[in-house]
Parts: sequence; C-alpha cells; structure tokens
Amino acid sequence: MQSYVSISTVLCILGTLLAYMAVRALYLRYKHPLLNIVALGAAAVIIVLVGFDIPYAVYEPASKIMTSFIGPATVALALPLYRYRLVLLRYALAIMGSVCAGAFVAMFSTGLMARVGGLPQEVVISIMPKSVSIPFAIEIAGMYGGIPSLAAAFVVATGTLGSLIGGWTLNLAHVADPFARGLALGTVSHAQGTAAALQEGEEQGAMAGLALILAGIITAALAPFVVWLVLRLPVLG
Amino acid sequence: MKEAWKFLWQMAILAGLFWGSDWVVRATGLPMPGNVLGIVVLFLLLLTGIVKEDHISTAANFLLKHMVFFFVPVAVGLMQWGGVFYDYGWILLVAIVVGAVLPLLTVGLLGRALRCRARRREGESCNPM
Repeated sequence: MQSYVSISTVLCILGTLLAYMAVRALYLRYKHPLLNIVALGAAAVIIVLVGFDIPYAVYEPASKIMTSFIGPATVALALPLYRYRLVLLRYALAIMGSVCAGAFVAMFSTGLMARVGGLPQEVVISIMPKSVSIPFAIEIAGMYGGIPSLAAAFVVATGTLGSLIGGWTLNLAHVADPFARGLALGTVSHAQGTAAALQEGEEQGAMAGLALILAGIITAALAPFVVWLVLRLPVLG
Repeated sequence: MKEAWKFLWQMAILAGLFWGSDWVVRATGLPMPGNVLGIVVLFLLLLTGIVKEDHISTAANFLLKHMVFFFVPVAVGLMQWGGVFYDYGWILLVAIVVGAVLPLLTVGLLGRALRCRARRREGESCNPM
C-alpha cells in the first residue's frame, strides 16, 4: 500500500472541489431544481477524465478519500432529527405508513419494469434494492441472487436521478409540505436525496434522514417477499 | 484559532462516533450500515443529554450544508458501469425512472395526507397542500 498521497490524487480532489464550488455557485445564483450539484459536478469531472483519457483507476484513490467523509457526515443527521424530535413522535404513524408504502412501491415497480423489459434475473434482483443506501443494497442483492457491485451502481444512479428530478416531481404533484417532501426524497434516494432535501431546508433534511434509515430497514424486511412476487409474476412474452 | 480547534474537535467526535458504530456493525454482524447505527447512537446521546447540541453543532452544520459534495465522487464512479448501462440502455433507464417517480409520488402524497389526518384528529385545521 502506498503511504503517501500522489500528486494526481491531490489534483483529482482539487478538481472535484472546483467543480463542486462552480456548480454550487450556479445553483445559489439561479436556484433551478435541474441545476443539480451532484449530477452536474460529476458530469464535469467525468468529461475532464474522459477528455484527457484518464482512466477511472487514477481517480479512485481520490474518490476513496472524499467518500470516507460520508460516514461522519451522515452521522451528523442525528442533529436535525433531534431538533425535530417532537414532529417525529407526533407523526410517527404517518411516517411509518408512507415510508412503508414507498419502500414497497420502489422495489416492486422497478423489479416489474426490469422483468417486463426482459432483463436477466440477476440484474432484476440487483436493481430492486436501488432506493436504499449501498450497504443495505449490497446485502439484499447478495442474499437473493443479485450482483452486489451492480446493485451499488444502481443505488448511485437512483440517488443521482432522485436528487435531480425529485424536487421537480414533487412540485408537479403540488406537494409543498416540507415534511412529505423530505420523507419522499429520503425514501427514494437515500443519502443523496437527503443531501438534496437539506438544500431545501432543515425540516426536509430531518425527515429525509429519518426516511433513509426506515426505508433501509423496511426494504431489507420486505425484500424476500417482493423478490418472490416479482420473479413469479406471469409476464407476457 | 480557537474556532478552528473547536471545529476539528467536533469533527473528531463525529468521525469517532461513525468509526465506533462501523466497528460494532462489523464485529456483531448487525444487518445495518455503520452510519445508520451512528445516527441512532448520536440521536440517543442527544436525547439523553450526554451530548449537547453545541458539542457538535459547528461541525455538524458544516457537514450537513456541504453533504452533497461527498456524493460528487460517488456519482463519478458510475462511469465504470457505462458498459452495462449501454447494453440494457433504455430498459434500465425506464426501470429506474419509473421506480423513482412512483414511490416519490406515493410517499409525498400519502405522507401529506396522513399528516393532515393526524392534525385534524387533534382538532387542528389542515389544508392538504
């Protein structure tokens, strides 16, 4: 193992920071929901890597350093949860009910689409836990015959998509309630959706953080049943 | 200077909580990610008053404000899977988009309706918007 940080790693971190600051400045200036920091920031980094013919392996050590902060950063979610503790208690049933329904719909609709589309069975299983955070998804996919690393890729794709179109979809449905918006973003797009919810406001962030935890646990519990259901449904063709 | 030390000290507390929880999950095989246990533990510490809000709030607020940054490199990792996304292209896209939009609407609409119902039961008025 290398005991030093190479120049390319430092450059990759600085480049990612630069992309983040540029996209964030754009977002703060225009506040448009499609100006998604994660999607646009990552797109900028990918374009530079591909443009200069730099393989992902060069970026990977930098990615490892930066993503090691996700753990402590998500632990910090306990703070908004604590500030909204009375809301959690008062609406415990509403929270449980909607997150349960959402976790089921997320798994079932995705699995059904994947099956109808004729994807191989292991890909169908890998895509089903796409709405929960990576450690949950890897466990679930591995347990029922999916491919863990592919499951992780679907989790990231869903997180990026959810933070990109989540707020906009909820606007179209006229869901303005910060409580419901936060729950929806956290249930569908785990920590990435929670990060997007935090940009909207603290209540959204607190609810998304709670939904992220609940959705992970509920999805793991529902998985054997929903996987069975999706694989056994008679599909035409 | 004092502020900087306070910030670093608070970061160390959060990182320590995460590493401790992550270690417990690995050691015991608890079926949950380390960061989820970390949230639950810190939440309980705050509730019991063992950790006070201002013991961690400077670092926590900073991390929460910039949490999206840490997901930029995660999304960059998607470039490795270009092949799979190319092979199954639009089916995957449809499955992921439908599988995101439907539950978003489910949770958004149901969450709003159930919260309203709870409010009305306690005699408050609620405009379901």
